Amino acid sequence: MDIKKLISKISKVYSMDIKISEEVANLLKDNGLKAEEMEKVIKDAEESGKKLESKDGSKCLAKAEDDNLTCYALYSASNGGFSLDSGYAHKMKMVGPTGGEFNVEAADEADWICKKCNENAIEANVDMTYLGVTRPGNAIVCPKCGDMYLGEDMVPTIKGAEGILEEKRG
Amino acid sequence: MPAEDFAPINSEWLEKAGNLWTTPFVDKPSERVIVDPILLSHAAALFKKTPKYFWENPDEAARMVCQACELYDITPVGHYLWADYWGQDYGAEIKIQETSPPAITKYPIKEPEDIDKFEVKSPEELKEGPTFKDHFKALDTVLEEYPQMFAPITQLAGPMEVATNWAGIEDVFMWMITEPEIVDKLIVKATEHMVNACKVTAEKYGANVMITGSVVASGDLLEREQIKRFSYEPQCKAVKNVLKAGAGPGIYYHLCGNHTNSFDMWKDAPMSPFTVVQVGNDGKNVFPSSKLVEHFGDRCTCFGVVDTKLIDRGTPRQVYDQTAEQLQAGKDSPRGFIIGSSCECPTYAPPANVHAMVKAAKDYGKYEKF
Ligand SMILES: [Zn+2]
Repeated sequence: MDIKKLISKISKVYSMDIKISEEVANLLKDNGLKAEEMEKVIKDAEESGKKLESKDGSKCLAKAEDDNLTCYALYSASNGGFSLDSGYAHKMKMVGPTGGEFNVEAADEADWICKKCNENAIEANVDMTYLGVTRPGNAIVCPKCGDMYLGEDMVPTIKGAEGILEEKRG
Repeated sequence: MPAEDFAPINSEWLEKAGNLWTTPFVDKPSERVIVDPILLSHAAALFKKTPKYFWENPDEAARMVCQACELYDITPVGHYLWADYWGQDYGAEIKIQETSPPAITKYPIKEPEDIDKFEVKSPEELKEGPTFKDHFKALDTVLEEYPQMFAPITQLAGPMEVATNWAGIEDVFMWMITEPEIVDKLIVKATEHMVNACKVTAEKYGANVMITGSVVASGDLLEREQIKRFSYEPQCKAVKNVLKAGAGPGIYYHLCGNHTNSFDMWKDAPMSPFTVVQVGNDGKNVFPSSKLVEHFGDRCTCFGVVDTKLIDRGTPRQVYDQTAEQLQAGKDSPRGFIIGSSCECPTYAPPANVHAMVKAAKDYGKYEKF
């Protein structure tokens, strides 16, 4: 990519218009997330290409993680910018494939594509660690680069598990 | 027997048993492995009641199970269920039997043509149906009278098991050969039912532990490819959909019977942080804990087993020795270990044999990993 194109891409990202509806803003509040965090997740994903894209191309899922929290932005393109459709987070930290490696052959294909690798993502168990306990969770995984994402519909399961671990281990 | 007929549960015992029970799931150190002999109507026998009485009186059944947990010093959880669940909700007739669990006598699906017309009940319909009426009567009794022994269980077994409670097992097995596509359709309906049933429990209690797995679909009756097609794959979909519906987080894969030809498939079954896998038999033998831990130990909590036939017909010494052997091979499994019976504790198993399992756990089940 030449410098001009790169600058144009970066400036596009930085001038990125990200819409957050009132409904989504309330959801973020409920999930303890800030709009700025979500905007950064989207900007970073658009810049690096590290994200999942739904097979029909309508939605993207990107994440940012530190030691304590993994935040997700589910978003879509809208009028040259983006609109945030949902934001969620979990405290259990994904550490790698359950059992040491992904059994790609046995796994169901997910409805997502790893944009970076242009590879169909799969649904597989990944090890998740929290409060010194490591156990599996069902996630969306790129079989090529190994990136792991928690689908929004698995959030209640993982939140439920976090609650039990906090009660029993906290 | 109403609540006031029972002696109070010792709170010190309950706290200690609760800690033993928690360890395999959250790695919180405790002294030893807990024993879960899957107690149901055996509890009734301890109170000189019949299986018929047990299943006809879910509230009393729950009390007897809770009391038996203290008596034996085993997993402090109140259970109530039987294998032929869900038939009645769809029009099956059941017979309450004197000495064994209720059994279906007339199935709602009689011909392959019935499958297309067969409609899966909604969560709202199931909630008001006969199966949940009794099941929740038992669970509510535990919740009210023994709150620390409560677990929000939904009894399903796998799609094959649900399907064979809708249509006779001989018919389903015949259709598998003559019209397998129609069995696929039936199984899809069974998986939808599984999701709806779990939703009901999760909505009522805020969480759900699904008992799933494979009983009918075992290596004694089916080939690996048949188990994969009619049990494993649809079940994986069902479990994912249950979790996606928010009806987790507990998953208990109960692989009853001989699973030599298929147990390894389940390593990739969808798991939540609270997943237990139990395999009954390896050919004619009890499934070795060493093999269970080798394949599942780095994945989920392992439920090692003692042969139910041995618990029923063996001597206390034989039960003690097999429990000790299984414990030594499995107790320090990295993601937790439970020792129990390979299936439901037989109603008239000698109490001395159940006690022998607990005795072995005290002698050979002490953790070394903590
Ligand atoms: Zn990738």
